[in-house]
Amino acid sequence: MDPSEVEFLAEKEMITVVPNFTLDTIYLIGGDIGPFTAGMPMEVPLWMAVNLKQRQKARIRPPEWMDVEKLQEKKQEETDSKFFTEMPCKHYMELTQLLLKYAIDDIPHADETRTLIKDIWDLRMAKLRSSVDTFVKSDATHAKLLHLTLMELNTVRPFLTKALDQLHVLRTNISGGVELTQE
Amino acid sequence: MALEALEEYYDLDDILSSNEKIPCKIEMPIYRLGYLDSSSIYDDLLPGSKMELPYWMARSLCSRKRHMVSVELPKNYRESYREILTADATVVDLHKLGPYYYSFGTHLLKYELPDSPDVAKILVKAFQTRFRKVMDSSQNAYNEDTSKLTEKLDESERLLFKAGQLGLNDFIRWETRQTEKLTTSDMVKNHRKRKRAIMEDTG
Repeated sequence: MDPSEVEFLAEKEMITVVPNFTLDTIYLIGGDIGPFTAGMPMEVPLWMAVNLKQRQKARIRPPEWMDVEKLQEKKQEETDSKFFTEMPCKHYMELTQLLLKYAIDDIPHADETRTLIKDIWDLRMAKLRSSVDTFVKSDATHAKLLHLTLMELNTVRPFLTKALDQLHVLRTNISGGVELTQE
Repeated sequence: MALEALEEYYDLDDILSSNEKIPCKIEMPIYRLGYLDSSSIYDDLLPGSKMELPYWMARSLCSRKRHMVSVELPKNYRESYREILTADATVVDLHKLGPYYYSFGTHLLKYELPDSPDVAKILVKAFQTRFRKVMDSSQNAYNEDTSKLTEKLDESERLLFKAGQLGLNDFIRWETRQTEKLTTSDMVKNHRKRKRAIMEDTG
């Protein structure tokens, strides 16, 4: 999967915006949105939020977790824990990326937020790599990882699946899982 | 052949790996093929003479039904090399030991030589030990020359390295927002180049 496809999926997340125009409900395949009332906060999908922002029709209200203090706590929790912790949003990376790109003026302490999210990402990727390594070194046939996000999984997918394929071939050599015949 | 169903019939790497040479001993006279052994002066290949045959040929000459040659374990898989791999597999130059160390090793197991179980074990062990290095280097090398990183890797590990690089590059391209820029597709670009070449030729 391409990261932009993951981003596409993330654009379905709902986010709060404050429109500066009034409009009746609009009917879309994905569901009805609206009615829009100027100055009244409302929830729209991320793709629409970005679009409205780009046309300067709305202000975006960053999600609750996108807050320097909360992210610092999260980072501390992630550092302390041996396992993956649950992220406040399963598309945290994509959301931050998009909001910082298109609505940077709506986010307080944008630079700090960016650094913190990147730190959390790096921590989690390092954890992911070491758990993949432990998994490959052990003779286990399956593993369970909780709280991984789609984007994180996506960056290791091509590598991991190939590695496990090869390992499987080499392992069947030992166990003789497949019958050896000379005929 | 049950095991061969696992392999890709058209896989080029698989074909190449079956072309690696195995030391063999001729068990019965093979007439008129003496020229295959350059050190022999006879017309026929005599029993007891030793030569190296590619795996695919040795495989059909040495089986339970037919026993025209007997096969020995190539030296890269013998005990002394296995000891080196046990000591520290990460520093071994597997590309030099045979660019297809793992898959050729897998092929060799089909002969059921006395050492086979040990070879099978060392292949898994070596792969597991070297895995971390392949993963870390492939996930961290962005926009740099990777030939140094891959020179000691076996061909299958190189494929892994490539897959890791793909994941990393895709992600970074997304992170720096290069994916959203519209660019000419490679096909169109190449088509134009080809067209120009044709026009220059005729003109």
